[in-house]
Amino acid sequence: MIQTIPLILAGLSVAVAFRTGLFNIGAESQLLVGAVAAGAVGARFGFLPGPILFPIVLVAGIGAGAAWAAIAGYLKAARGVNEVITTIMQNYIVVFVIHWLLQNGPMTAPNALGTPASAPIGDGAVLPIIIPNELVPLTRLHAGIFLAILAVVVFWFVLWRTPLGYELRAVGLGARAAAQAGIDPRVHTVIAMAIAGGFAGLAGMIQVTGVFHRVFDGFSAGYGFDAIAVALLGKNSPIGVVLAALLFGAFARGGSIMQANAGVSAQLVSVIEAIVLFVIAAELIVRILARRRGPKPLEAIA
Amino acid sequence: MTWEQLIGAGVLAAMLRLATPIALAALGGVIAERSGVVNIALEGCMLVGAFFGVVAADRTHSVVLALAVAMAAGAVLAGVHAVAAIHLRSDQIVSGMALNILALGLTSFLDYQFYGNTGTPADLAAVPDVEIAPLAAVPFIGDVIGHQNTIVWLTVVLVVLIQVFLFRTVPGLRLRAVGEHPRAAETVGIGVRRTRYWAVLASGLLAALGGAYLSLSVAHSFTDGMTGGRGFIGLAAMIFGRWTPIGALVASLVFGYGTALSFSLQGASIGDVRVPVQLLSTLPYVLTILAVAGFVGRSRPPASDGIPYETEGH
Repeated sequence: MIQTIPLILAGLSVAVAFRTGLFNIGAESQLLVGAVAAGAVGARFGFLPGPILFPIVLVAGIGAGAAWAAIAGYLKAARGVNEVITTIMQNYIVVFVIHWLLQNGPMTAPNALGTPASAPIGDGAVLPIIIPNELVPLTRLHAGIFLAILAVVVFWFVLWRTPLGYELRAVGLGARAAAQAGIDPRVHTVIAMAIAGGFAGLAGMIQVTGVFHRVFDGFSAGYGFDAIAVALLGKNSPIGVVLAALLFGAFARGGSIMQANAGVSAQLVSVIEAIVLFVIAAELIVRILARRRGPKPLEAIA
Repeated sequence: MTWEQLIGAGVLAAMLRLATPIALAALGGVIAERSGVVNIALEGCMLVGAFFGVVAADRTHSVVLALAVAMAAGAVLAGVHAVAAIHLRSDQIVSGMALNILALGLTSFLDYQFYGNTGTPADLAAVPDVEIAPLAAVPFIGDVIGHQNTIVWLTVVLVVLIQVFLFRTVPGLRLRAVGEHPRAAETVGIGVRRTRYWAVLASGLLAALGGAYLSLSVAHSFTDGMTGGRGFIGLAAMIFGRWTPIGALVASLVFGYGTALSFSLQGASIGDVRVPVQLLSTLPYVLTILAVAGFVGRSRPPASDGIPYETEGH
């Protein structure tokens, strides 16, 4: 279950961008930026009591992810830079910046983990564990699940029940038509990327406050990349993303349990994952094929 | 920090080694995008090249056959992209990304099927180094280029050949015309789709050669996802090099140098301050974003880059 939470949130991140016609490959880096911000603020102000500290850490994580992703949105809107290129580059930049922060930068802290890591966050910001190991072995389910569920509801509500969501989806369905209707696609590109980054940043923040209580090298297990598959498999719908995230979370969980108990290599799980990705990719190609058989666009007839 | 760590022969030799796969991917990108097709499946082409190169080297014990198989595998993947991008006029970014996912899944799946947990065999046929005997004795220069891999030299040759092809020959001019103004090209009798197919296939060949370089010249093995984003960095080098082969090579060298430096400066310090080598490594990516956004120099893609072409009267 605990792998499912970041997958849901990162999946929502990719999905909200898709809905606006953007391809967010940067969920990974947005997640990491959110985690770093949450870890830094959580450790720096660790002396504050929980009710004050937690909201600050929450805002730091979401805000950092949103601001980082908004850069890609801005460059797309103002400079016409393809967001795919920007977000891929951003992924690499963040990886190296985190190496620096943790290995010989301002966040380096002595620890017993053996890998470079930051100082632990204050107790006030730690998400309580709601299903401890004693109850169900190997669970450690924390209260972050409520934040994830809340995020799914927010995703649905914003996109389908607010004027902003309507405009975002309109841009996604056809930027030029949306512009004709008085919706500025450029502004909405920035907003959509910021929202996407916010979801991914929340994922990172929850990993810090709920699971690891600090930031370390190799912090994310590629959640931001799996999120692309999650969003595609879930067809960018709230329920779909949750179900797809559960599936991929079960893969990750099952892999380590099998390795621990049955001596089966986790390789087998990556094989299963690969097959699923294969099918998703193939399905995408099938859909492209299917779309070509549909009615020709007006332009082509004229 | 010493001069040796900054521009020593070891660093420069490493720069050439590290730049080679990036340059090959970038060359592929240049050809595809000059013809008007965005191919972000280069990463996937590299990966299948790396994997099938290893398989072929293992089965045939012939380097030449291994490279041929690797490049054929890259061309097949690129061919799928070509059909999607040119014939089906689908979104080239989505198609490319799907193929990258496909390549990652397929290679790790087959890697497990063929070699299980033991990893690829240790006695693979390797691409040999070129020993330049008269140079090897020369201090410094000998250490830098005296014994580089065959594919490193091949890359330099390819860069020159493709530069000449694109800008000094008639077929090269036609290819660029197709990328700039396909309708005008069609009007003077150039087959737009045919040109684009050849260009995308060539990009797959080149990227796969870069992948085979990684597995058969450097690592002598295959590991899942071993290309580590070099296909994407190659695209960055292409953009930074303003869609020219020589520019792409220079950009690849800059990227390679950045990586080589981050190895050699490990633990080095200026006075008491340790050099933040990790921040140095971000430079290629930051430069790329700035270049694409037009803040550093002016990078203009071919006018019809990424736009599917529709023949008139259909």
